[in-house]
Amino acid sequence: MISEATLGVTVEPLGRELSDVAFALRQSTVEIRTRGTGVGSGIVWNRTGTIVTNAHVARSDRATIVLSDGRELAGIVTARDSRRDLAALTVDAGGDALPAAIIGHPTDLRTGEIVLALGNPLGITGALALGVVHAVEQRRGAPRWIRADIRLAPGNSGGPLADVRGRVVGVNTLIAYGLGVAVPVTTVLRFLADVSQGRRSAGYRAA
Amino acid sequence: MAGTSTTTPTAGVLESLSNDLAGAVDRAGQSVVAIHARRRIPASGIHWRPGIIVAAHHTIQRDEEITISLADGSTVAATLAGRDPTTDLAVLKVDEAKVPVASVAEPAGVRVGALVLALGRPGTAVTASLGVVSAVGGEWRTWHGGMIDQFVRLDISIYDGFSGGPLIDAGGRVLGVNTSGLSRGAALAIPVTTVNRVVDQLMTSGRVARGYLGLGMQAIRLPAALVERLSLPNDIGLMVVSAEPDGPGDRAGIIIGDILTAVGSTRVSDPAELLALLGADRIGKAVEAKIIRAGEPRSVTITVGERPQQTRGPRRGK
Repeated sequence: MISEATLGVTVEPLGRELSDVAFALRQSTVEIRTRGTGVGSGIVWNRTGTIVTNAHVARSDRATIVLSDGRELAGIVTARDSRRDLAALTVDAGGDALPAAIIGHPTDLRTGEIVLALGNPLGITGALALGVVHAVEQRRGAPRWIRADIRLAPGNSGGPLADVRGRVVGVNTLIAYGLGVAVPVTTVLRFLADVSQGRRSAGYRAA
Repeated sequence: MAGTSTTTPTAGVLESLSNDLAGAVDRAGQSVVAIHARRRIPASGIHWRPGIIVAAHHTIQRDEEITISLADGSTVAATLAGRDPTTDLAVLKVDEAKVPVASVAEPAGVRVGALVLALGRPGTAVTASLGVVSAVGGEWRTWHGGMIDQFVRLDISIYDGFSGGPLIDAGGRVLGVNTSGLSRGAALAIPVTTVNRVVDQLMTSGRVARGYLGLGMQAIRLPAALVERLSLPNDIGLMVVSAEPDGPGDRAGIIIGDILTAVGSTRVSDPAELLALLGADRIGKAVEAKIIRAGEPRSVTITVGERPQQTRGPRRGK
């Protein structure tokens, strides 16, 4: 049916591309260590040192941020919104530009498309998971939750959910009935805008 | 280092695959419906033929006041055309469904290792999960006696809305109807051939008739001395553990504790073998059952009845 010559012709580049995307995504994924809550994940949001994670990962006011190259930096929690389960931290990389994630568009997500998760599940650093979009739950026309058919574990919290180009579309936040549930990056952008404008009504609390 | 990491990798094959999967969901999702026939979460169904919806029997928990939500956002009333608990299929009729019917793949197109998606609609939106076909086998009989033309086991996660939804290939073609209700929660697909056959039967007569003895049985190992004395070909028999009052077996004089060894000229040592002998063609016919009672062989004539129709599904499964 299929000759030996054609076997693997599609699968091999698929594997290579997958490793490329995983490599790129891993650069902008950090490990977040706090006293008490253990190890979580985070996303390097910009080159100047903003790290985004879940509020339930950044429970204390200070955290140790471990970059993908192994550097450990002191992080300070600048804002926390427990309703959205988001937190922002800043790190001082001594003037070095940090490897910022590419932010994607959750509104373009289609059910069935492939998504990738990077994080530190059960303490395994930089682990990749592959799955598909199960459903995007909408609220007033905007994505509210991204549900993914993907295998996540504690430690993935706060890490990126990305599309096949490595563009971050969500923050992995919880596991519900086996499904990975991510906060869309559109919600993160609103959260960060609220923080920068000092709006308190959105439910965040300056830490 | 920071510079290289911010370039978007080109995702040729990976992106095509992803687009194909999303496209398949888009296309096949048009014929996936939500069925409101139980409490809490709606069940999934498939617009199989014009005005005919196929669903998983065990998810349809009431026979009346059923409504169906379609991909176009409309809701229509549905009537139950019939159910076949033995294959876990139910068929519903709707007056008008302005959504396409499922595009069905060629039968026998299921291969181990094939990338597949399970679709559902446990609410307004279509849902998808990705997996592979993990095993394919020949025809098999379910624990309720139904015949399934091909065994198709899936390596896929089961979420709400799995049962009754379609199994599709990467081209969006329907390979079967998914169910977790036929094999202790394992993900199986009922192949298209079986679905078509059951739909035909349910649309014609509202039921899939099956022969019935009204006896509950359990396979047991017989003592070696008894096997030797009666010259039995093997040491397994079916012990009657329950007999429905006034059922076919009861009327023929079968009592609890009798051990069934053969029906007609066919040896039975497994309840599935007995179910295989109780096709619709046997209803109303007399069969000779060989039993052992108190260590002595006997022959009893039973007039096969028809299995009573189960009217609602059990409250379990997704």
